[in-house]
Amino acid sequence: MYTQYKYWRPYISPNDPCPPIEIKSYSTPPHLYIGFQPSGLPQFQTAKEALKKGTLWPQLYSPYPNPQKRNERS
Amino acid sequence: MPPEFYTLLEEIQANDFVIVELNLFLDTHPDDFEAIKQFNAHAQKSMKLKVEFEKKFGPLMNFGYSYSNYPFNWVDTPWPWQV
Repeated sequence: MYTQYKYWRPYISPNDPCPPIEIKSYSTPPHLYIGFQPSGLPQFQTAKEALKKGTLWPQLYSPYPNPQKRNERS
Repeated sequence: MPPEFYTLLEEIQANDFVIVELNLFLDTHPDDFEAIKQFNAHAQKSMKLKVEFEKKFGPLMNFGYSYSNYPFNWVDTPWPWQV
């Protein structure tokens, strides 16, 4: 199932001076999975909405939020 | 500036964003007729909106890309970064 983020657990060394981050994440926007964009994809209704979302096609929309603000499951 | 200044400017911005998106799409899909029709429709609308905006609030662009009023009010505020 397509998800916008992928998570993984980095190795935490006992010698690590800083507080460990148990779970890290990276963003996987949909355009990685589409390849060559087909014609005639459904579009957003209004230009303003397309401008707010940052793309003309809902299928390519990705929120791209700041990693800190995402609910990082540390 | 009057609120209409901002609403009209935002409408131009949204319209131009759709044109940019379609332009990038058409770069890789030159023979997509639907996208070309939509692109031309939005381009025409963009020109209409800009003419309407310039009648009310002065030139959007300088160096001959927009007509000028009398007196030459390109120097008046708000500048693009002050909008």
